[in-house]
Amino acid sequence: MTMAYSLRPLWITCSLGCLVVAVGCGTTPAASFRPNMVEATKQRLTPAQEKQVATVLLAMFGTPDDPVALPETGLDEAKLRLAAGPVRSDIVGRKNGLYREHCAHCHGITGDGLGPTAAFLNPYPRDYRPGVFKFKSTERADKPTHADLVRILHNGIAGTSMPSFALLPEAQVEALAEYVKYLSIRGETELSLMRAFFELDDDAQGKLPETREFLVDETLSPIAEKWQAAADARIPVPEMPADIDLVASIAKGKELFYGDKANCVKCHGVTGLGDGQANDYDDWNKAIVEIDKEVKSTAAKAKETSTVSMSADEAAEHRSQLAWLEKFDAVLAGDALTPRTIPPRNLRHGIYRGGRRPLDLYYRIHAGINGAPMPAAKGTISPEDIWHIVNYVRSLPYELDGELGADRPMVARDRF
Amino acid sequence: MSTAIASPVAHGTAHLPPARKPRPVAEFLSTYVFSKDHKVIGLQFLFSTLVWFLIGGLLALAVRWQIAWPWSDVPVLGKLFAQEGGQMAPEFYTMLFTMHATVMIFLVIIPILAGAFGNFLIPLMIGADDMAFPTLNMLSYWFMWPAFIAFGASFFVEGGAASSGWTSYPTLSTNIASSPGAGWGQTLWLIGLTMVGVSSMLGSVNYMTTIILMRAPGMTMFRLPMTIWAMFITAVLQAFALPVLTAAGFMQLADRTLGTGFFSPEGNIVNNWMQGTGGGQPLLWQHLFWFYSHPAVYIMILPAMGMVSDILTTFARKPLFGYRPMVYSIAGIAGLGFIVWGHHMFISGMNPALGITFMVSTMMIALPSAVKTFNWLGTIWGGKIQFTTSMLFALAFVSMFIIGGLSGIFMAATPVDIFIHDTYFIVAHFHYVLFAGTAMGVWAGIYYWFPKMFGRTMNEFWGKVHFFLTFIFMNGTFFTMHILGAVGFPRRLADAYHYETFHHLQPMNAFMTWCAIGMVATQIIFAINFFWSMFFGPVAGRNPWNANTLEWTAPSPPGHGNFDFQPVVYRGPYEYSVPGVEKDHLMQTDPPHAAAAAAAAAAH
Amino acid sequence: MGSRFSGIFWSLLFLAVPVLGVATFAIAPAIDVWLPKDISEHGKAIDGLFYFILGLTGIVFIATEVVLFWFLWKYDAARDNGPAKYIHGSHTLEVVWTIIPAATLLFLAIYQMNTWADVKMRRPAMAPTVEVVARQFEWRLRYPGRDGTLGTADDLFLVNDMHVPVDEDILVQLKSMDVLHSFFIPNLRIKQDAVPGMKIPVWFKATENGQFDIVCAELCGWGHYKMKGRVTVESREDFDRWLESQYAKQEATQPEPDPADAVAQN
Repeated sequence: MTMAYSLRPLWITCSLGCLVVAVGCGTTPAASFRPNMVEATKQRLTPAQEKQVATVLLAMFGTPDDPVALPETGLDEAKLRLAAGPVRSDIVGRKNGLYREHCAHCHGITGDGLGPTAAFLNPYPRDYRPGVFKFKSTERADKPTHADLVRILHNGIAGTSMPSFALLPEAQVEALAEYVKYLSIRGETELSLMRAFFELDDDAQGKLPETREFLVDETLSPIAEKWQAAADARIPVPEMPADIDLVASIAKGKELFYGDKANCVKCHGVTGLGDGQANDYDDWNKAIVEIDKEVKSTAAKAKETSTVSMSADEAAEHRSQLAWLEKFDAVLAGDALTPRTIPPRNLRHGIYRGGRRPLDLYYRIHAGINGAPMPAAKGTISPEDIWHIVNYVRSLPYELDGELGADRPMVARDRF
Repeated sequence: MSTAIASPVAHGTAHLPPARKPRPVAEFLSTYVFSKDHKVIGLQFLFSTLVWFLIGGLLALAVRWQIAWPWSDVPVLGKLFAQEGGQMAPEFYTMLFTMHATVMIFLVIIPILAGAFGNFLIPLMIGADDMAFPTLNMLSYWFMWPAFIAFGASFFVEGGAASSGWTSYPTLSTNIASSPGAGWGQTLWLIGLTMVGVSSMLGSVNYMTTIILMRAPGMTMFRLPMTIWAMFITAVLQAFALPVLTAAGFMQLADRTLGTGFFSPEGNIVNNWMQGTGGGQPLLWQHLFWFYSHPAVYIMILPAMGMVSDILTTFARKPLFGYRPMVYSIAGIAGLGFIVWGHHMFISGMNPALGITFMVSTMMIALPSAVKTFNWLGTIWGGKIQFTTSMLFALAFVSMFIIGGLSGIFMAATPVDIFIHDTYFIVAHFHYVLFAGTAMGVWAGIYYWFPKMFGRTMNEFWGKVHFFLTFIFMNGTFFTMHILGAVGFPRRLADAYHYETFHHLQPMNAFMTWCAIGMVATQIIFAINFFWSMFFGPVAGRNPWNANTLEWTAPSPPGHGNFDFQPVVYRGPYEYSVPGVEKDHLMQTDPPHAAAAAAAAAAH
Repeated sequence: MGSRFSGIFWSLLFLAVPVLGVATFAIAPAIDVWLPKDISEHGKAIDGLFYFILGLTGIVFIATEVVLFWFLWKYDAARDNGPAKYIHGSHTLEVVWTIIPAATLLFLAIYQMNTWADVKMRRPAMAPTVEVVARQFEWRLRYPGRDGTLGTADDLFLVNDMHVPVDEDILVQLKSMDVLHSFFIPNLRIKQDAVPGMKIPVWFKATENGQFDIVCAELCGWGHYKMKGRVTVESREDFDRWLESQYAKQEATQPEPDPADAVAQN
């Protein structure tokens, strides 16, 4: 065999190789926060107005790689820097980019619950932007304390895809909790700014005032102060008497459970399996459901209206209304998850999302669950009675006679 | 070159159809697209599988990128995750390795061995003019296209392609809420798998019939070249093992779409979603799946072993050492291959007593492979070795197969498997046998039979460059995986550095990824050599390697009907360097008096 | 034919295989990239088997690869002018190299049966120390409470953080809530798939205190890599104390003191 070779294949290889490298090696642009398109469309913001909001937020909060924390927020910028940015180790080998490593693929880089994995989770991951959190130690309408957020990170949320981060170093958990607050404050600020356009008078010409007074004192500070005041809003929990007769307490609790004052069975069902009703939504899904219904019905009506008998101005407005409705439809399809109902908790499982301590159950019953249909018993039911209900609920997974016999599969003995 | 007296053409020319109106499009289609000629079909398989080889390789690079630099900006694919700054989502990673394995196993290795080489070589090497069932043969290729489309389309459906591993274990694969790719992606995966299975079954029936019934006069079974023995036994394996996989695939499809519960236990809730009736067992799938997939791994290596035997003998100019033991070993591997499937399931929760029985049978299956390796060494011993590209790849097959085979012994040992199961030790093992082994054998075969397929030889210099770089990069990529496995580094993790135990392994993984990138880049040289030589390479005669088997008596490339004379076989395929014969090879079709005449001429 | 150097070059390339192969396996333990520390009772047998097989396969590897190199070097057509040996095989050799490997492999298989039985078949007669339920994507643990029975109201529920007492037989009851997972503790040399619908016992005895990783070793979805657990091996007293304190936390009816309060007061 001859050993002849031609150099032509070499040139072709090299040029092809360079082409491949050129195509492949363009780096992706830096991560960016996604604007709240549902709200922006709802408020009928013009592109210029959307841009103004984005610019203001950039100045006030920075980017996912480079966060900014104004002193009014009360946030620790050092912790934010640990959590922000791409995943990397810094010069002392400390892990950075914690949020993107652990949280972003579900909660989204903006904290909007729209990460790439979010659509496939049941229940959906939390959207921090409305500033509503379900499982906390404070009164219903108040923000969670820092300790509440850390507890969620430590324990995860049983029965959901939110995992436990108890094995992370404490410093990393602290950084993540701080970053969640940051994203939530940013999200609420964005909502507030977008809603503020509606309040403007005409000489503002559709632009928000970019003064410190408006942006920080009037918009940001009220939001941040609620977070800082969370510690004061903790629910006072009276001691459960040490010599309590558990059997009697459980019996009293059962009475209350089935009674009219607490009316637990309405949702949790006479079986306790959570089959009382099945048609309600939590606040995040409800918002989408309601907007979606409104948009669809308005669009249906608008499409039927004929423009023949309209003046030129009216027709133009009608067309822009139709365009806005179509845009909204597209935004709902692309920037929001398909709404899902929220089933009442199956109390026979022994799996409690907010925590299984008697204390946690007390919080849930006293304040209800913010953002969910679970109502607050505060004021209606006395603290002692709440303890009785807590004891009854805790006994449900192990109840072997009564409404459910030992032959039903959904008891904690076998189900867990 | 043999000047055997050729008998006048008996069959080809008499079959000329009567003159009719020319219909160019229809003729083009029937000659090159829906051809029933086994050589065209073989080339169709070859081109299709080489394209999928590229796709599978790119998927592997994406996997390796994530392993080496988790959550970093991925080249090209990062654009899909622009919101996150190019960082891939973890479910995307599970999809990548699932589809890498699926593509490589079902769309590359199995079709290239059986479909490309089997189709092209079987009639030529046994002296037949085509396969027993040419139409069935054509169908076996065209049934691959629904599979190509199903697997290809699955990347673009909602949730993406299948992401439950190529092993597709329930309930991850059966419950549609368990992962994003468990929706349409998994359904399309099952459909694609069924289509590949049909194609393989059609092929296997064809090959068995052809080899048994259509051998040329004088071609007894024990004069068949090892390539044909390997193809034959592989076809038998396909025929007996595939129906089990097809049945299992239908059962899984039923679980997913019809609400049956073959593989789901009662009350099974995944991601807060309960599906179907339950009452089944996840382990059932594992048994059914591995009952096919273990023989499948032998399907994926036996043809390469056969081809390597033929190539080694040609370039060592020596008979095969131990022809009958080699044949019996292939049969032994195939037979034993049916009773070892449980070694994939030692840790699965099946009855631990089976861990003993399967350990014994698995240990024993190492034996025929060892015998083959010793016989290959015996073949090159005392040879006159020509280091052509093809020979280098064949030698690399032997060298690398030793590594792959020996590493298998660790996992056959059930107590050791407790530790190394589902770690990179396993990944190292199967990449050594499948890539360092079979793929090297495939390249050996391509360089070797390219002249027969296209009438021109590939460039030797660039072939050797291709070999050298592939050999280096491949070992760089896969050898240290054994070490990773010893550390306990698990498979299929999107980010292993989560765990303190594996934190210090990142530099090794980065090294492996660079080698993998080099390896894939090297294939550009092969691709260019392949296509360039097809049109501009030096014209090859009938027998550029001076080999003995029947295909080298046909023109390069052979016309329709293959031979321009009726082949008659007088001897086995490995009569090289016969004493007393002047030329160093005695082809199978050389008549006996030619040998005597050659000896007489030498005496003068 | 190639040049004389071509054969030398290729032979040496194939020699690099055993050389670099052995070098890799020699360097790895020296730089601590090797089997993780073994703290289990049966781990010694498993590691011993690993090394035995490594030694055996190592010898075969070196022998066959060096023989391959040697033949390529010696029988290079460019440097060796004689004809090839016309030989079809050797019946004796076939018998020898069939019988010896067969005997070795069979011996290897039988030699290991006892270890396998110890780890997987001879379950200790005891109540489970802890129930581990694998779930997408965490390890949910349940310790029987003071009554020693699982499934009663005094059970202790934890996530990912497993404690066991040292130098005692431990029995884990392994289940899965949803899909296949695999309970793998590298330092204890145990691994067992968690199968939905099955309750599988896993037993071991830890011989040293410390904290070790629990890794999921069976693909369970997108979060497979996230299923990091930790097992803490400690003395019986520490273990009991830890159980008590965890139980007290689980039964808490009053909030824990908030660190923010302490800061605010100062």
